[in-house]
Amino acid sequence: MGKSTLLHCLAGIMKPDSGEVRLLGERIDTMGERDRSTLRRTRFGFVFQFGQLLPELPADENVALPLMLGGMARGRSVQEARAWFGPLGLGGMEGRRPGELSGGQAQRVAIARALVTRPAVIFADEPTGALDQATGHEIMRILVEATKHHDASLVVVTHDPEVARWCDRVVEVRDGMILAPGQRQDRTQTLSGGNA
Amino acid sequence: MRNLLELSWRLLRGGGRQSMLGTGLTAAAVAISSALLVFALAANVAFAARADREAWRNPVEAKGTPVAIEATAKDYVRDLSITVVDVAPLREVSGVRPPGMNRMPRPGEVWVSPGLAGLMRELPAEQLAARFPGKVAGTIGNDGLLYPDELVAVVGRTAADPAMAASRADHPLTSTPPTKISDFTGRAGDETVVYQIMALIASVLMVVPLLVFGGAAARLTVARRDQRLAALRLVGATPWQVVMMTVAEAVITAFGGAVLGLVLYGAAIPLLSRIEMAGGSWFAADLWPGVLPVLGVLLAVPLLVGLSAVVGLRRVVVSPLGVAKRETPPAMRFVRVVALFVILIAVPLSSRSTSTTVVVGVLGLAFLGVNLVGPWVVGVIGRITTRTARRPARLLAGRRLVDDPRSAWRTVSGVALTGFIAGFVGLLSPSSDLLGVPPSTAGLRLVVPDAQAAALAEQARERLSGAGIDAHVKTSDRSGSGRAKERTLTISLPSGDGYTVRIDTARTALAGLVPGRIAASPVDDQWQGIRLLDDVRTGTLVVLGVSFLVAIASAGITAASSVLDRRQAYALLRLAGTPLEVLDRARRTETLVPLAVMGGGSILIGMFCALPFVYAAMSVSGAVTLLTSVAVGFAGVLGAGALSRPLLRSVTANPAPRPD
Repeated sequence: MGKSTLLHCLAGIMKPDSGEVRLLGERIDTMGERDRSTLRRTRFGFVFQFGQLLPELPADENVALPLMLGGMARGRSVQEARAWFGPLGLGGMEGRRPGELSGGQAQRVAIARALVTRPAVIFADEPTGALDQATGHEIMRILVEATKHHDASLVVVTHDPEVARWCDRVVEVRDGMILAPGQRQDRTQTLSGGNA
Repeated sequence: MRNLLELSWRLLRGGGRQSMLGTGLTAAAVAISSALLVFALAANVAFAARADREAWRNPVEAKGTPVAIEATAKDYVRDLSITVVDVAPLREVSGVRPPGMNRMPRPGEVWVSPGLAGLMRELPAEQLAARFPGKVAGTIGNDGLLYPDELVAVVGRTAADPAMAASRADHPLTSTPPTKISDFTGRAGDETVVYQIMALIASVLMVVPLLVFGGAAARLTVARRDQRLAALRLVGATPWQVVMMTVAEAVITAFGGAVLGLVLYGAAIPLLSRIEMAGGSWFAADLWPGVLPVLGVLLAVPLLVGLSAVVGLRRVVVSPLGVAKRETPPAMRFVRVVALFVILIAVPLSSRSTSTTVVVGVLGLAFLGVNLVGPWVVGVIGRITTRTARRPARLLAGRRLVDDPRSAWRTVSGVALTGFIAGFVGLLSPSSDLLGVPPSTAGLRLVVPDAQAAALAEQARERLSGAGIDAHVKTSDRSGSGRAKERTLTISLPSGDGYTVRIDTARTALAGLVPGRIAASPVDDQWQGIRLLDDVRTGTLVVLGVSFLVAIASAGITAASSVLDRRQAYALLRLAGTPLEVLDRARRTETLVPLAVMGGGSILIGMFCALPFVYAAMSVSGAVTLLTSVAVGFAGVLGAGALSRPLLRSVTANPAPRPD
């Protein structure tokens, strides 16, 4: 309990009741809704368990959407979006719609979308929750590598120790409280952070 | 079966707040359609009831021994018309009496309607009451009246009275010559038949969008249940069980909505009864369609909604994974367009037919054709919008239109179908020019037999000066031939202040001067035409009002429901930093673009369908009606869509979207 809430506070989606959230020294919990929206769109990327792709848009337009929202022309946005498909193993999937992609493929499209704006931080909430173990492993590898490659930080919420193992730093949350490193017994509630 | 019903009920109740909201929207949609459906039915019943009550004033020649002589005429006071029925009883037959009266009028008696009695008390006798010979013997009850304030006088006369022999050919449209009758059954008047046909056409124009709207409401429930029902299929529910559960749920909701709609209609009766048609407002009882039609609506509406739900469910039943997987939807078939063209070709052909049923049927078909072709056009618009989109809002809107043209069509169908109606009646709206230039000479005319013309003119002068009226009486040239030779007395009155008092006094003074003839002004002679035009205009406004109500309700409900259906996508977009305005603009675009195209298209199709019935160019009032409709339509749909903005804000404010 509490790990998603913490992620939402970190990402500027919710305001914490107490405490501060800073990005590169700047407080974000005191920003207005509009500024936080802009922040989320430009500095953050999001990967969720499922349901994050718009079913009516083809894969490339799903990836291009954040760029277009940032004001980039459609043609260029789609062009830039397509550049992500090859490296993520999605070559040929550009025109497919989310319903025509497998779970792992859809998750890779979501990763491309999270990274396309070259954000400072990627927030991932149970990114492998809906995938089988092999695919989950593959997605985590791509996620971590791509984040590193683009010099971003990755914050992952997971209850899966296998996923947490990918991270440089692990913070355990239990019943809404952060556990001291020595208290780690139950690894089911984990907020993991990796600074690449 | 019982288990299934119980489970459906539990699912309906336990669906959570947003699911309850969805159910509520469906029930509201069904309630509005049912209320308006009852109204459409009641309008026909009401005109039929009036026609029945009016029949006794259209005497039918007796086949056996006559019991009375009946003749009618129209008189006028202020700007109102009075129906004067002269009755000369020939023999007593028990039970034979004019409707609304407890016995036959005796010679020398006058029976008046409550409205006329009130007016006779209100106005000085020399302006109204003195026109009727004899004493007021009773009041005509509602059975003999068309509407509550109608002005009717039944004048009892002897069979030998010269008024019972006059041909009354001076005003053939508004009077009937003395006729020997055996009872007061009569026959439906030509005018009431015209009104009944117009009511029928108006009903068709109102009912089709209602059915479309009701069907759309049913699909609303299904769309939201899709996922859950697919899950039920996955755990092994048979297709039959799934269908039964959906139908049960839809029917329960629809029944609730239908009952609510009836209550709504009942509450609206006092307001509706004030709509003036064919001379006056309505008896509340006329607007109650009767037990059988009401039961019919209560039965048919849930049935139709259930049926529509089944159609919407087909996909889920075919495959348990049918909704879990979303693929590129197949394009709408072009057949839809072909169907519309076939129907449109039939329109000019059908106008040659004199049968009302054929014309009304083709009209209904054309209407359905617009509804059929709508989703196809929306799909095409979606593809064009997508191709040309440069901004994300337009891209989202375009893709959404391509993805689910039917759902986008549901949002605008109401207004588009109203466009059809507006185009149809806009072209048909008669202009007042049809009646010609209103005569400028103020005064009265009285047709008199040629032989007595001079004497009657002199008497008229005496009567008028006796009543204190300063008038000029002129005798016109002869008209007619042989014994029927006639002249017209033209009575000119000074216009200006007090003209209505002077003219009513003059009418009263001249009453009975020529038995069976009434002095009437040139405007009086146009009175029937003016009233018909007024009524066509009122009817047009009512039909347009109803269809706008449907259209805007449907736009609002579908907009809200589309937010509910897509709450996950919206929430995630907002979470990823999409400004609410972009989502809102996308929503607006996906409504406005098809609205503009389809609205315009249906107006044109509506006009095309009206072409065979029209013989003059579009009137100014028609054009005004049309333009106002367009403005109200756009504003209404935008307003209704804007209403669901708080809902959009609330569903996207949920920071942790979870599938439900």
